[in-house]
Amino acid sequence: MRDGAMRSVLVAGGGLTGWCAAAALKRRAPFLDVAIVAGPAAPAGLADRIAAALPSLIGFHADLGIGEADALGRTGARQRLGTAFIGWGGEPHVHAYGRYGQPIGPTPFHVQWIRAARADAVAPFDRFSPEAVMGRRGRFAPVGAFGPTVCGLTIDPAEQCRMLRAFALHIGVRERPGAVEAVAIDARGHVAGVTVAGETLAADLYVDATGPDARLRTAIDAAWEDWSAWLPCDRVLLADRPRAAPPLLTPVTALDAGWQWTSGTQHGLAYAAAHRDEGAARDMLRRTAGAEPGSAIAIRPGIRRAPWQGNCVAIGDAATQIEPLEWCNLHLALSAIDRLVTMLPDRDMAPIEAADFNRQTLAEAERVRDFVAMHYRTARGQTGFWRQAVEQEPPASLAHSLTQWFERGRLPFYEEETFTRDGWAAILLGRGHLPRRVDPLAEALPLDQLRAMLARMADGIAAPPPPSRPAAGFAMQPGRVSA
Amino acid sequence: MAEAERLRVVIVGGGTAGWMTATALARLLPTRCSVRLVESDAIGVVGVGEATLPHIRAFNERLGIAEADFMARTRATFKLGIEFRDWGRIGDSYVHPFGTFGSGTGAIDFHHYWSRLLAEGADLPHLDALSYACALARAGKFDHPAPAGQGGLSGTFGYAYQFDALLFAPYLRSLAEAMGAQRTEGIVVDVERDGETGSIRAITLKGGERIEGDLFVDCSGFRSLLLGEALEEPFEDWSRWLPTDRAVAMPCATRTAVTPYTSAIAMPAGWRWRIPLQHRTGNGYVYASAFTSDDTAQAALEAAVEGEAIAAPRLLRFRAGRRRRSWVGNCVAVGLASGFLEPLESTSIYLVQQAITALIELFPDREPAAADRDEFNRVIDLEYDRIRDFLILHYHATTRSDSPFWDYVRTMAIPDSLAEKLELWRRRGRVVKYREGVFLDASWIAVYLGQGIVPAGWDPRADAADGAALRDGVEQLRAAIAADVAGRPDHRGFIDRYCPMREAA
Repeated sequence: MRDGAMRSVLVAGGGLTGWCAAAALKRRAPFLDVAIVAGPAAPAGLADRIAAALPSLIGFHADLGIGEADALGRTGARQRLGTAFIGWGGEPHVHAYGRYGQPIGPTPFHVQWIRAARADAVAPFDRFSPEAVMGRRGRFAPVGAFGPTVCGLTIDPAEQCRMLRAFALHIGVRERPGAVEAVAIDARGHVAGVTVAGETLAADLYVDATGPDARLRTAIDAAWEDWSAWLPCDRVLLADRPRAAPPLLTPVTALDAGWQWTSGTQHGLAYAAAHRDEGAARDMLRRTAGAEPGSAIAIRPGIRRAPWQGNCVAIGDAATQIEPLEWCNLHLALSAIDRLVTMLPDRDMAPIEAADFNRQTLAEAERVRDFVAMHYRTARGQTGFWRQAVEQEPPASLAHSLTQWFERGRLPFYEEETFTRDGWAAILLGRGHLPRRVDPLAEALPLDQLRAMLARMADGIAAPPPPSRPAAGFAMQPGRVSA
Repeated sequence: MAEAERLRVVIVGGGTAGWMTATALARLLPTRCSVRLVESDAIGVVGVGEATLPHIRAFNERLGIAEADFMARTRATFKLGIEFRDWGRIGDSYVHPFGTFGSGTGAIDFHHYWSRLLAEGADLPHLDALSYACALARAGKFDHPAPAGQGGLSGTFGYAYQFDALLFAPYLRSLAEAMGAQRTEGIVVDVERDGETGSIRAITLKGGERIEGDLFVDCSGFRSLLLGEALEEPFEDWSRWLPTDRAVAMPCATRTAVTPYTSAIAMPAGWRWRIPLQHRTGNGYVYASAFTSDDTAQAALEAAVEGEAIAAPRLLRFRAGRRRRSWVGNCVAVGLASGFLEPLESTSIYLVQQAITALIELFPDREPAAADRDEFNRVIDLEYDRIRDFLILHYHATTRSDSPFWDYVRTMAIPDSLAEKLELWRRRGRVVKYREGVFLDASWIAVYLGQGIVPAGWDPRADAADGAALRDGVEQLRAAIAADVAGRPDHRGFIDRYCPMREAA
């Protein structure tokens, strides 16, 4: 091992994010001494608490060598195929994680669908997603009309955390009892040590997974970029109804001043405090969940533009706070962990390497922000909350995407994109936002031929799936949500 | 929905860019536009882009061009990469392949192990021996790659062509005219603009003919007749980073092998290309006039070529950079009219192709909208900027101090975007990743290592492997590549069977 190589990491944070970071670092860089100060989990850490997870969690398990059967068997997690949006505009529509349709000629499928939709009635866009159709039918099959089924997971966050803790301890992560009491910063602005149970712990690198408080990272500086103009919900309520089966498609219903979801056991409600008082929100969730909500979680939508500063990397809610719509909290944390492992710094903590990490992390988070903000900008609600959300001028990158969409159905490519073009199209088309015109290349195919092809494709997808095996035994495709 | 009325597209300038544009529009958008191309036999064609990148294959495929026929007609050869000689220092030679290094398996990129083995002083083969594409090129052989995911090593590469650019344009012209494109012989003497919008309404030819159009494509080459001269779009000058501004070109008879690669040989004030075709070899010396004279450059080229000259030396002048915007109003510049980057990495035809692809995807329905132009310019700017940095790297990453030219490029200030990339590489072999753009990780790694920039550090996870096992792995990979390459056909023999040129091409 070279002299300058990093030897030790201290992870702070006892929630799912912290244990994921510790487990991944130790598993994928076994030469590191990885210690974790678990302490009590931060109740406001959404990455630690939301039950709906994107396909990236399955990829994360695969990177660690945790088999799917194991993960599902031990934690009770179940496959989920996407999200069903109800009351957001248009008929209920599904954002599934697999492909929508097959390309017809040189243009993306959604362009041909738009062309057919402009000419006459066509089956809804999500009828061309095998995952969405499976989800509506309530039956999971490991292989669909276009190949292996792409799915995320509905997890029990506490069980998931227990599994990762057991895994981490098994592979040699050291757990330090106690909680972070103080953080010492040296003259360079690096973390010099963390006081835990009266003892000072030091490491080459500190991973801050302490949730929104960012106990370590904020000891260096508190710079924060505010996104609240584009992400209007700033409160989340959670309530658990024991032992309810998770749906394959997580329903997300628009409310007067926010939205509500259910993941089986977990019920949640996100709202804007300026438009709805907490009592009314609690009543509503109590009625639908049939259980008492926990205390309201406050979200401060925004980002730390430099999550990695000096020798300290903030991950999860310590780095980015965003409402859980589209389930990106844990996803962003896992993505940052993966990035950290592949970019492990030397002990000299070169600022240029941190800058490269921050550049990618920021680009990814901004694109997730755009995707979530797009849900509001294109919604069809009538209350003050929704009117304000629809009228809000979007960030420049989202404005460019929407201009291209409404002009011609084009979805410009950005680096570090989480969601596929099909994902964007599923939301926009699901709400009935048709572009003004379509790509001229699409017109090479006569319309009646296109209709016939679409009908055949929809029939193929709707054909009943082969008999399925027990849910826990599926070999699933590891992967991320990205195209 | 009523199909939109056909747009009248007027292309100014023939040559590779003009006829590629005409063919693509006529073939792919026959219901959306009529195509009229104005060119003059009296105006010469630059035709520098004799060597291409693998993307050309996708373009040809979309146009329905059959490979063997196209190669026979343009007297083409296969290209597996570019050999760079004397760049990092005199005596060096490496191939930038259209392919990867290593076996492509494993969680950590190959170059991290390579850096570690170099630091440990291991006895290693030339890096070329660990890339299938390089090994095939060095052996003077060619075979089509195995389909992706099949065939193991022999599926780890792509290829392009080296062809006679002066035959490519006429070949495309015959296709385009058959598909309805109309050619008009003439010289443009006037450009008429709308007083209100500034858009181009019509051009007038010598002799008085007036041609109206809805969309004008400027393929007039360096002159940039519409975008540069008529619309006065400013030129962003990059010559402080890319100081070469002239080339002298001279084809010669082939005396050595018809190599399945292009060579770029560093010279005292620039570099020299060698592009073997079926019937001759293209040569040229790209140089900076601030550092050498035309006469000296020409003499150096004449002294260096391998066979008797087939034509007299021809001088070209240019300037590195691009127009601030490529699409302004109803005028889209394609090729040299939009900008110029020297042919060191064979990007000229690639840039033409990207512009055409973007134009088709963003084809306006009547009056071009700001949304069309903005997205087009965003896409094209990204291409230019990334290629620019990659080209500068070749000059800057050198230890040469044998001439004022090399002293200048070695010590010049480089763009911040490149300086960051270089430092990330130098420190620990990190390659700035992106998914869109022409030169991805493998290309950057090839040039960095080929020009002697070995990272000081590497991914610490690469330390986990046992040193002896790593060295054995390298040797096994080298042997496996060598064994497979040995069984592949000779490049010239492959061409003679597959796509021999026709005498009266």
